Amino acid sequence: MSWFARIRNVIRPNGLSDDLDRELSFHIAERIDDLVAHGMTPDAARREARRQFGNYGLQKEYTRERDVFRWLETLLGDLRYALRTLRASPAFALVAILSLALGIGANTAIFSLINAVMLKSLPVSHPEELMVVVRDSSKTATNPIWEYVRDHQDVFSGTFAYSPTQFNLASRGQVRNVYANWVSGAYFSTLGVRAVLGRTLLPADDVRGCPAVAAISSSFWQTEYGGSDAVIGRTVALDGHQFQIVGVIDPAFFGLDVGAHAQIYTPLCAQTIMNGDDKWIDARSTWYLHIVGRPKPGITPAQASARLQMLMPGLVEATLPPNWPPDAAARYQNARMEVASVATGFSDLRTTYRKALFVLMTVVGIVLLIACANVANLLLARATKRQHEIAVRLALGARPARLIRQLLTESVLLALMGAAIGVVFAIWGSHLLLHLMSTSGDAVALDLSLDLPVLAFTAGVAVATGVLFGLAPAWRAARVAPHNAMKSQARGVADGHSRFSVGKALVVAQIALSLLLVAGAVLLLGSWRRLATVDPGFKRDHVLLLAADMRSGNENASPEQRSSLRRQLLDRLRAVPGVRMASASELTPISGAGWNNDIKADGYAPASRDDGLVWMNEVSDGYFSTMGTALITGRDFNTSDVPGSAKVAIVNEALARKVFDTRSPIGQHIQVANGKDYGPPIEIVGVVGNAKYESMRETPQPIAYISMAQDTDPGLSVKVEIRTVGPTTAIIPSIKSAVAEVAPRASLDFTTLDRQVAESLRLPRTLATLAGFFGVLALLLATIGLYGIMSYTVARRRNEIGVRIALGARQSRVVRMVMGEVGLIVGLGVGIGILLTLGLTRLVSVFLYGVAPSDPTTMVLSAVMLAGVAFAAAMLPAWRAAGLDPVTALREN
Amino acid sequence: MPKNKNDILQGTLALLVLKAIAAQGRMHGYAITAHIQRVSADLLRVEEGSLYPALHRMAQDGWLRAEWGTTEKNRQARFYTITAAGRKQLALEEESWTRLRDGVQRVLRYA
Repeated sequence: MSWFARIRNVIRPNGLSDDLDRELSFHIAERIDDLVAHGMTPDAARREARRQFGNYGLQKEYTRERDVFRWLETLLGDLRYALRTLRASPAFALVAILSLALGIGANTAIFSLINAVMLKSLPVSHPEELMVVVRDSSKTATNPIWEYVRDHQDVFSGTFAYSPTQFNLASRGQVRNVYANWVSGAYFSTLGVRAVLGRTLLPADDVRGCPAVAAISSSFWQTEYGGSDAVIGRTVALDGHQFQIVGVIDPAFFGLDVGAHAQIYTPLCAQTIMNGDDKWIDARSTWYLHIVGRPKPGITPAQASARLQMLMPGLVEATLPPNWPPDAAARYQNARMEVASVATGFSDLRTTYRKALFVLMTVVGIVLLIACANVANLLLARATKRQHEIAVRLALGARPARLIRQLLTESVLLALMGAAIGVVFAIWGSHLLLHLMSTSGDAVALDLSLDLPVLAFTAGVAVATGVLFGLAPAWRAARVAPHNAMKSQARGVADGHSRFSVGKALVVAQIALSLLLVAGAVLLLGSWRRLATVDPGFKRDHVLLLAADMRSGNENASPEQRSSLRRQLLDRLRAVPGVRMASASELTPISGAGWNNDIKADGYAPASRDDGLVWMNEVSDGYFSTMGTALITGRDFNTSDVPGSAKVAIVNEALARKVFDTRSPIGQHIQVANGKDYGPPIEIVGVVGNAKYESMRETPQPIAYISMAQDTDPGLSVKVEIRTVGPTTAIIPSIKSAVAEVAPRASLDFTTLDRQVAESLRLPRTLATLAGFFGVLALLLATIGLYGIMSYTVARRRNEIGVRIALGARQSRVVRMVMGEVGLIVGLGVGIGILLTLGLTRLVSVFLYGVAPSDPTTMVLSAVMLAGVAFAAAMLPAWRAAGLDPVTALREN
Repeated sequence: MPKNKNDILQGTLALLVLKAIAAQGRMHGYAITAHIQRVSADLLRVEEGSLYPALHRMAQDGWLRAEWGTTEKNRQARFYTITAAGRKQLALEEESWTRLRDGVQRVLRYA
C-alpha cells in the first residue's frame, strides 16, 4: 500500500472501510456460490459462509488494525464514544473533572512559578552564552575589580558590569522607589537589547565625569509619560538628581534580575553624581557589581575560567583592599576566578524560595495523587456497573487490550478536560501566589504567561494522571470472566465482594497521604503562629517607623550641623501631639538590613574570628523606651553623651553573658574592629533585654548599641521610631509637616514596626497558608473518597444487609459492621500515614520554628482530626445501611 | 477452542500465500484459499480470519501489490500480485521451511 493510500485512509476513514467491506463481502459471495454449486440452498449457503468466516466485524477490525494509521481512526472513535458515555453520566463527569482540575491547576500554578523563577531564560539574544564572573564563589565584585577585568580580559567578545538598585523618584516628601540598574557602557550591546525610542546607553556614556543620563523601560515610559515620543531629552529626578532621558528600552527586556524588573538604567559613572564623590567607584571593598560576559566564539566555559584565573596576580595587586587583616587578604589572593552560566538571570527569589517551591511542588503533587485515587475509585465503581456491557463485548470477541485502550482513552479525556479547567485555576492561582509573596513595599514582578514549558508540563501531567487513574479500573474491567459477569446480573445472586478491594486500598493510600499533608500543615501553621506571636524583645504595636533622608539641601553641612539637624528633628517630632516617645537609630530591627563587627574585650577570647562577631546599632537616647525594650541595669544614653565625652555603649544580655559571663558588664570596655585594628575602648554603661535583630527566627544574638550623639561623622539619612498614643498611621500628616519644618526637602518613607515584622514573615505565612489550604483540600478529597467507597460497598451489599436485618440483626449491629470496615481502612491509612509523615516532614524542618518535624502532639492531633472527619463521613452510609427496609431490599433483586 | 488438524502452522501462512501467488500470478483472496486447499488435497485449510490480515501486512511490507479488478463473474475483487521483494522473501521462507522440516524429521527419526 502506498503512503498516499495510508494517509488517505486516515483522512477518509470510510474509504478504508469500503475497501475492506468490499474485499470481505466478495470473499463471502464467492463462498456462497461454491456452496450453492455443491447443492446448498442460497439461504443455508449464506448462513454457512458467514459461520465459516467467523465474526465478520471482528475480522474487519483485525485486518484494518494492520494499518499503521489505523490507531488514529480508532482514537477518534474512542473519543466520540468516551464523550457519549461522559454525557450519559454528567454528575460523575463533573466530580471527576473538577477534582482533577483542582489537582492539575495547583500543579500548573506552582510549576509556572518555578518556571518563572528558576527555569525561564532571559529575554535577550542567545542567553545561554552569557557567563557571570565568579570570584571566590561570589558573583559580586568591586568596581576596581570590574575595571581590571574589563581592561585585561581576552575571553569575552562583550562584557559589562551592572548592579541592581533602587531610586527614589520623589524629590521631597513621601518616597517613591523604583527598581533600577547601574550599568556599564557595554551592557546593552553585549546583551543585544535595543531601544524602541531614542538610544540605549553606550560605552561613551560610561566614562568618569559623565553627564547624568538614563534609559527607561517601556513600562515606565507608558505609566509615567503616557508613551509620548517627547520623552527623549526630558529629565527625571532620581534620588533628587536630574537625569536626562536618552532612550526607551525594548518592552520584552526587564533587566537581569528575575522578580525585580528594572525601570531605569543609569551608567555606573553616574554614581559620582548621586554620591557627590567617587567613594563607590574607587572603593576596594564595596561589593555590588555583577560582571557578565559573552565568551568569544569557540571559547568554552572551562577555557574562559582558566584564562580569567591567569589575571589573578595582576588583579590582586591592583585591587586588594589596603587595610584588610592578613587572613582575609590571603583569602583574597588565593581566590579562584571562574565563570558560571547566567542564562536564567539573577534572582534573590531563587535562593529564598527554592526550597519552599520544592516543598509546594511536592504538596500539590500529593494532592493530585489523592484526586487521582478518587477518580480511579469513581471509574472502578462505574466499571462495575458497566461490567455487563464489557462482558458482552468480551463474549463477542473483543480483545482485552482493545477494551483497556478504550477505557484509557476515556480516562485521559477526563484528565485533559480537567487540565483545561485546571489551566484557568492555575492562572488565578499563580497570580494569587504572587500576591501572597509580595508586600506593599516590594511587589514581586514575574512573567507568569503560559509559555511552552508550562503548557507541556500541564499536558504531560494530564496524560500521566489519565493513565495513572485509568489503568487499574481498565485492567480490572477487561479481565472479567464473561460468564461470571453476565451471571451476576441474574436474579438472586449475592455479590461476592472481596474483603479488600483495589478501591479500598486506594482509599487507604488517600488517607495516608492526606495525613502527611495535614500534619505538614499543622506543623507549618503552628510555626508561623509561634513566629508571629513570639516576644521579639520589643513592643510591636503603636510604633511608626520613619526613614528620613535629609541630604537634599544640606549637601555642604558640617558634621556639627548634621548632628544638630538630627537633634532638631528628634526634638521637633517629640513635640508633635499624639507622639508619646520618639528616638532615632541607624537601623530598625527585622528590616532586612544588618551591621556586624568583631569586638574584643579584656578577659574575652573569641573561639574564632567569626565567633567574635556581634550585631551593632547606633541609637539615640530614648531608643529602648520607645521600642519597649527593658533596661536591665545601668543607664540609657543621655544628653551628657556628646562627641567629646568618653565613648559609651549599651549591650544586650546575650552579649553580656557571652563576653563577660557572670561578671557585671557595667564599667567594662569593648573595642570594635576597624579594618586590621580595633577602635578606642568604649565603656559599657547599660544592659538591655534581648531583642530580635535580623529575623524573628533567630535565637538571642549578642548586640552592641553605640551612642548616636557621639558619632563624629553623622549621616543625614536616619531612621526614626515614633511611639504613638492613638492609631499609628493617623499621625503621619502631622509628622510630615513637623519634618518639613526642620528639613523642607527631606524624603520620607513610612512603615510601622508591626508591618515590618509581619513582612519579614511572608515566606512562613505564604507557606503555612498554602499548606493549610492544600491540607484541607486533601482531607476533603480523601473524605469524599471514603464516603464514596462506603456508599458503594453498602449499595453492593444491600441484599446481604437486608437478609441480616430480616434475620433479626439490630440496627446498631449493622452500623457496627459498616463502621468496623471504616475503622480498618482509616486505621491502616493513619498507620501508614504516620510512618510516611515521620519520614517526610524532615523536608520542611528549615521552615519549622519551635517544633520538631516528628512532634508527637502534631501527629496525634492530625490523626484524630483525620479519623474524626473520616468517621463522620462514613456515618451516613452506615446509617443508610441500618435504616434499610429488608422487604424493599430483597424485593429489588 | 480445540485445535483443528488442518490449521496452518503458525508462520507458514506467508510462505503458502507467497508461493501460491508466485505460481498463479494474479489472485484474489478467495482464490488463494481455494488454491491452497485444492493443491494440498484438503490437508490444509486457510482460515479467512488469518488470511486477510496477512495479505494486508504483506502488502504493507511491499511483498505484494494489491489492486482492484473484475472477476470472470464480473464481481469486484482485490487482486494480489507478487513483487520482487516478495520473491526474495519467498526464497527465504522456502529455505527456512526446508530447514525446519529436515530438523523436525531428524528429531522424529532419531530422538
